[in-house]
Amino acid sequence: MNTTLLSILALLIFPGGLFLLGYGLAYEYVDRKLVARFQNRVGPRWFQPLADVVKLLAKEEIVPHGVQRGLFIFLPVAALAAALTAALYVPMAGQVPSYSFNGDLIVTIYLLSLLTICMGLAGANTIDRFSVVGATRVLTQLFSYEAPFLLALLSPAIMAKSWQISEINIYTHNNLWFVLTQPIGFLVALVGLMGKLELPPFDAPEAETEIVSGALTEYSGRGLALFRLGKDVELVIGLTLVAAFYLGGIANPLEFVLKTLALLVVVAGLQSLFARLRIDQTVGLWWRLGAILGLAQILFVIFWRLVLR
Amino acid sequence: MTNLKLDSNWQRILDKIRTWARVNSPWAIHFNSGSCNGCDIEILATLTPRYDVERFGIKLQGSPRHADVLICTGPVTLQARDRLIRIYEQMPEPKFVIAVGSCGLSGGVFHGCYNVVGSIDEVLPVNVYIPGCPPRPEAIIYGVVQLLNSLKSGVSKVGTVAELVEKQEA
Repeated sequence: MNTTLLSILALLIFPGGLFLLGYGLAYEYVDRKLVARFQNRVGPRWFQPLADVVKLLAKEEIVPHGVQRGLFIFLPVAALAAALTAALYVPMAGQVPSYSFNGDLIVTIYLLSLLTICMGLAGANTIDRFSVVGATRVLTQLFSYEAPFLLALLSPAIMAKSWQISEINIYTHNNLWFVLTQPIGFLVALVGLMGKLELPPFDAPEAETEIVSGALTEYSGRGLALFRLGKDVELVIGLTLVAAFYLGGIANPLEFVLKTLALLVVVAGLQSLFARLRIDQTVGLWWRLGAILGLAQILFVIFWRLVLR
Repeated sequence: MTNLKLDSNWQRILDKIRTWARVNSPWAIHFNSGSCNGCDIEILATLTPRYDVERFGIKLQGSPRHADVLICTGPVTLQARDRLIRIYEQMPEPKFVIAVGSCGLSGGVFHGCYNVVGSIDEVLPVNVYIPGCPPRPEAIIYGVVQLLNSLKSGVSKVGTVAELVEKQEA
């Protein structure tokens, strides 16, 4: 009975539900405000993401002609659910993950990819040409950043000799920060996270100057709100993962806030520094540069483990 | 679903939250139905960092499905009429229309042309008129503020959840 109650709490309040949604909205605000300040603007007010989401939830939901109705309604829910589920396996706010088993790193990465796949499917589900173009770009981008991102997260796992996020977190906490010993991996992981979240310069899938708003063009009310929430949640989880792996682990809530915020500042800076890449440039960048760097990093780590130790 | 009465306390609180969210996050879409581009340039100037309308939560959206406010410029030409109506119908409820510029208000210098239907309110229900040829960005921001004020005070009618339910049941 007690464990059931705790599980429900973990799902609905912390780290799964309310906490993560609120934290995600707060981070979306920080991101937008930072980008605005970098562009010499004032930027949005602190409750802006909340107002956006509430307004979208209160709007009419139009199901356009030519879509599979059930899929159209189900995909945003699945995307948000996957993002929220991934929070159960990461050291949210420095706490021990709610659920932990050997190999949960791979599960988490797959759960994080589910949001992108749902967006691609949502775009391909409609007959609108902008959605379809957006969907192909979403999936093309998925295939380009996913491998380097995975490689970048694997090298700390190999160093820690574990595929369990909580154990890697403890290992990184007790050792020199990996950002110093494996700077290439850190760079690939951080930029991979930006590709995952479709932040500029990797926002070709939702380039509003070319294809309206990509895969989500036909979503109006609730669906759009859920996709936005899913993206915010994924931002928090991705930052937590990178901080836990490369910035010396997360041991307490203060470290959690400071390290993820520091990463967010870097991400916001990169967003306002670079212009949008074309989709072929994105793919080229990831496979010619990102994957090679990630591979070099992981080969070096394996070599170091086998030979020098 | 039956206890969603217009006058219940719960319903009043919900409506207050919804109005707050709507007032604080108006997303706009911009459509030119035959304007000379003067007003469009001023609208784009309104969206630049100098005026930074993201302060008020105003965002330009590409897709009519994401937008709350349709900002129209120019007289409605015969060709643009069907497209304008189509864009309006693609927007989800609740939706509002702002007519920008003299031509949008009355047809302007194009009034009576053989290829012009006339002002925007002959085609769509317009909530706010912004005069000027072209109106300055300050005037456009003022017009949007007028729309938000009318939303807040309840002058612009927005359907509540209870009304929607009644409409669906009827």
